[in-house]
Amino acid sequence: MNEDNIIICRCEDVTLKDIRNLIQQGFTTIEEIKRLSRIGMGPCQGKTCGLLIAKEIAEITGISIEKIELQNIRPPYGGVTFEEIIAGDEVEK
Amino acid sequence: MHNIEKVELIIVGGGPAGLSAALAAANYGVNVILVEEREFLGGQLVKQTHRFFGSEKEYAGTRGLKISNLLVKEIKENEHIKVLTSSRVLGIYKDKIVTILTNNKMMKYFPKALILATGASEKFLAFENNDLPGVFGAGAVQTLMNLYGVSPAKKILMVGSGNIGLIVSYQLLQAGVEVACVIEAAPKIGGYSVHASKLRRMGVPILTSHTIKKAVGKDKVEGAIICQLDSSWREIIDTDQFIKCDAICLSVGLTPLTDLLRQTNIKTVYISELGGYIPIRDENMETNIKNLFVAGDVSGIEEATSAIIEGQIAGLNVAKRINKNVKYQLEIEKQIMEAKEELELLRAGPVGEKVRKGLKKIGLNNSKNYDERMSNEEYDISFLMRTGIPSNDNLKMKLPQSEEIFNKGPIAISECFQKFPCDPCVKGCPFDAISEEGNINNLPYVDFEKCTGCAICVSKCPGLAMFVVQKNYTDSTSLVTLPYEFLPKPMKDQTVLVLNREGTEICEGIVKRVIDGKIQDKTTVVTVEVPKEYFLETRNIKVK
Repeated sequence: MNEDNIIICRCEDVTLKDIRNLIQQGFTTIEEIKRLSRIGMGPCQGKTCGLLIAKEIAEITGISIEKIELQNIRPPYGGVTFEEIIAGDEVEK
Repeated sequence: MHNIEKVELIIVGGGPAGLSAALAAANYGVNVILVEEREFLGGQLVKQTHRFFGSEKEYAGTRGLKISNLLVKEIKENEHIKVLTSSRVLGIYKDKIVTILTNNKMMKYFPKALILATGASEKFLAFENNDLPGVFGAGAVQTLMNLYGVSPAKKILMVGSGNIGLIVSYQLLQAGVEVACVIEAAPKIGGYSVHASKLRRMGVPILTSHTIKKAVGKDKVEGAIICQLDSSWREIIDTDQFIKCDAICLSVGLTPLTDLLRQTNIKTVYISELGGYIPIRDENMETNIKNLFVAGDVSGIEEATSAIIEGQIAGLNVAKRINKNVKYQLEIEKQIMEAKEELELLRAGPVGEKVRKGLKKIGLNNSKNYDERMSNEEYDISFLMRTGIPSNDNLKMKLPQSEEIFNKGPIAISECFQKFPCDPCVKGCPFDAISEEGNINNLPYVDFEKCTGCAICVSKCPGLAMFVVQKNYTDSTSLVTLPYEFLPKPMKDQTVLVLNREGTEICEGIVKRVIDGKIQDKTTVVTVEVPKEYFLETRNIKVK
């Protein structure tokens, strides 16, 4: 199995090898791995890779998956332009 | 507050859960804003061309897209519901302010209550070259095919045999796409056996204990390497097999789409039985944040029928808080009770066990109403669940016990061996000849004395598991009536190839009758004359 050819984060093109290397270096939370590899920072915001990485952390570290947290999510959900924000403020309610 | 509109209820997501939640609340005068990201309502229902299982009350026997049309029509006629399509909820803030991007404007709202019915996203699989063009999720394949009429491939490998994998495979066949095979890592088929049997009699192999190792191809998928797994899910060496295909469809499960929820202080917990990280909620669908409800797949993966009922429960609970009119309080309470009972019944059988286990982990559904006997299969269906083909022992149980019954004329044979909640055959029989002994989770049995062989049930059964046989049509031939959902449709007097339960050609037959009326709703009912020796084997036809 060539871990280099297995994509875990499609948005940011991060491979299984990259993820396993980081976990082995001691980065065992999704938040840490996100900051170092950009997983979960693309358009899908971790919907594709999140569970796969959680399982990978669980397998390598022995931490049960129930104890692993997904990445933090903050507003806004998806992109929004300044123009759209201003336009909303100008509507008479 | 500046430019913040106070509203009663915001519902996020226009799928089955969101639609039913909106109707349930609006029927008691609650003013609802229903927000849907796409340009139309209906969610995944709009892609579902197959008939739904479940109880008639929740539209069983009706095709998914028709259920969507019915609900959306009601929504549009309801003056209390304002629909925002092509609109996205951007944020849910600690002070309960909700921002929505609609019509190129970011609007701010302050709702009294919020129902999140955001559904699910597809799980992805790690294998070599999984980024090669031609690797699809099942949702994308369904969207291309059923929404836009675009064929995704010529020959496809389906990974995963849950209901979605099985249903999408069948729809691919209907669209004229070849399905090389369906592979499943578990030792048994994940979805309903009737869906698997439909594929098998079209000649599609289902390989359990198999997984994909590698997508093969230079610039796009040209094939895949699959291998066998042992009972501990480890690869068995030297079992590599090359499957030629131009697309690989992944149908390896769904996970709750909790992104919006996780913007808040909601508590989530990993429950594998419910698809991943789910929000903690109570039996009224309310989360640990007051007046923030969830419904449908976002609260744990199930199916559309339970999503509809969960939506009702959430919507009714909001109505109870907002509509203070005493006159309605009792009525609402009664409806909530009924919906909960309905949901419990849906989950009572063997296929509901996984969901029951998952819910128990978050302290729900420890109900006394679950009858142990109800949750056991009636027969040993291990062979059926491994192959998609009922065993001879299974078949025998549903056949008339005496030969004389065949002399009486045509009779219906039910090939439904796995217990799950479904009743269109029972409700549809005009002669009351099919019974589940009062519980929707039981297997249906035909009372051969009452059955006239009218074949209404053949097109009613969502699993296409009803057949009518007339053994002694002539001295040497029998008639078999079966459901057929492919083009071109057979014509009367035409000679067709006759297939058995494995999709193997066994003989030729002559089409004696084709019923394709409004009641059949595109499930054509075909009667074919076959040599007598094949009357119990004839389960499909191929139009030449």
